[in-house]
Amino acid sequence: MNTYTRGIRNAFRNLIRTFSIVFILGLSVGLSIAMLVAHQTVSKKIASIKANVGNNVIISPAGVNGFQGGGNPLTNTQANQVSKLAHVSSAVETISDRFNNTNSNLVSAIDAGSLGRRFNSNPNSNFSGNLNFTPPVNALGTNSANAISSLATRNGETVSLTSGALFNGNSTDDVAIIGSSLASKNNLKVGSTFTAYNTSIKVVGIYTASTSFANNQVLMPLATLQNLSTQQGQLTEIILTVDSISNVDSVTNVVKNVLGSAADVTNSAQQAQNSITPLQNIQSISVISLIAATVSGGVIIFLTMVMIVRERRREIGVLKAIGASNAKVMEQFVTEATTLTFMGALVGMVVGFLSSNSITTLLANNSSSSSSMANRGFGGGGGRFLGGIRNNLSNLHAVVGWNVLLYGLLIALVIAVIGSALASMFIARIKPAEVMRVE
Amino acid sequence: MLKVDKLSREFKSGDTVVKAVNDVSFSVGEGKFVSIIGRSGSGKSTLLTLLGALDKPNSGSIEVDGIDIAKISGKELNEYRAKKIGFIFQGYNLIPNLNAIENVMLAMEFGKYPTRSRKDRAKALLMQVGLNDTEMLRRPGKLSGGQQQRVAIARSLANNPKLILADEPTGNLDSQTGKVIFDLLHSLAKSEKTTIIAVTHDLEIAGKADEVYKLDDGKLKKGLK
Repeated sequence: MNTYTRGIRNAFRNLIRTFSIVFILGLSVGLSIAMLVAHQTVSKKIASIKANVGNNVIISPAGVNGFQGGGNPLTNTQANQVSKLAHVSSAVETISDRFNNTNSNLVSAIDAGSLGRRFNSNPNSNFSGNLNFTPPVNALGTNSANAISSLATRNGETVSLTSGALFNGNSTDDVAIIGSSLASKNNLKVGSTFTAYNTSIKVVGIYTASTSFANNQVLMPLATLQNLSTQQGQLTEIILTVDSISNVDSVTNVVKNVLGSAADVTNSAQQAQNSITPLQNIQSISVISLIAATVSGGVIIFLTMVMIVRERRREIGVLKAIGASNAKVMEQFVTEATTLTFMGALVGMVVGFLSSNSITTLLANNSSSSSSMANRGFGGGGGRFLGGIRNNLSNLHAVVGWNVLLYGLLIALVIAVIGSALASMFIARIKPAEVMRVE
Repeated sequence: MLKVDKLSREFKSGDTVVKAVNDVSFSVGEGKFVSIIGRSGSGKSTLLTLLGALDKPNSGSIEVDGIDIAKISGKELNEYRAKKIGFIFQGYNLIPNLNAIENVMLAMEFGKYPTRSRKDRAKALLMQVGLNDTEMLRRPGKLSGGQQQRVAIARSLANNPKLILADEPTGNLDSQTGKVIFDLLHSLAKSEKTTIIAVTHDLEIAGKADEVYKLDDGKLKKGLK
């Protein structure tokens, strides 16, 4: 039997104590793992938001909020002005329109419902709104080379082309890419046609998006929709891409100066920050909790080892008296502490595995409820973007990977080292002669 | 084998200085059995801790097998304790979660005794001190006081030490068992050619030693036998 075997056996000398310590350490390591998982999950989410957001400045007509409010549209001339500003690498211009039964044969895939009827009621109607109202289909004209990514950037959601191809945003072709729900509702496929403003429009692609509203939209080349809807030269939104996130604020200010009161100018960095703030709160909480849980584990094992060392003062004295070096005795006690800690780590991994998702969700829910008021958006301009990222907190899904379990073992090792190293100092101070005098 | 010269050890208690061992000199030859008697507080245990290199003297020298142990430290000191000295304590001081064989083997581990031979030697020593095969596999808690002291004696012999220091080896035993243990030590001193210095209160047992010293207020008086 060597030092290590004795250390491992000593960990089981008092089974009740061993069970208690392993249980408490298990909770400590489990909490550490859960916090680590929460931190990783939130960090990935923040990175994802930042990646999706990009360095965008969003320009909307002043006073407009989607199809509500008032004001005048932006113009192609204004778009040309702002697209030439320093640090602006590209500009996507869009025009919004609505297809209904008076100008198109498309039927909306979204039911009006009480909300749709109420939103479209006139001042003279009662609370139940216009009972004959049929929701229009929202049409978006864009000069973007990638209309799909334009929609994703605009709404902050996941959009992917499921069939067909993209169109040239600068063309005047009578083509469209439509949402999957709209295609299904109207039995449209790639190559099919529908009518808008007495013009036959060919479907060249079908996409799927993460919201019902986006799945009911039509994307068309900017000039095509401007011409069809007689809005030549008019725009409802301009999205500028800035060369660096550090220049986003300065470009925003310059655009405000150039366009003056004609436009509302916001930037995605500010909006993303609003969404990221509660996630960053979770990050901070998880880091603090991770450190606290790890230190608590270290303190538990330290106090345990101090108690064990005090109990075994005589035994340590005997070991030294029969020739054991301080290092040998410490080795034995460190092995004992490490054995206890690793048993705690195994329990902790199970605890962490079972609780990580719930704890992450709990943190997200608490953070979400405290920040929900700050994040309210209601469509149109920058507010529409917020609508897309509002669900970031509730969409968090924690996954415990092998790397996390390895981190768990590392945490256990840190706990064992902290706990037993300090206790070892007490061992070194025990003199065999003192033990003899006790005898 | 053992030569002690002008050995002193003082302890401070407030303003008072207590001379636990006061200018002690004596020498013991190989294979001799020496008893040191004295009342409580006379300095017997302090003298043993100095001889066992568990404490450092304030002055004087202790030469064991040609080594001045007052001047060694670190690894050399550990080796001295493991290989040259065997300890027998009044309270046995066996490791409670190791069985008799493992307790004896523990001393061999620190004395770097060849790994393969440890178990056989431990069994042979335990047999020599009177434990049977079943008793050898028992932990200290399952052995009587006499049996535990026999295990302690076997442990002290594990690394063929030159000197065995016994602190009240019969103190926790009944008189009959005490005599048996003392006789065992005496015979081992002869058979193993090991010098044994035993501290005891019991004058009858002490009288069986080759030489008897009396320690009185730290001063050693020679030649009671």
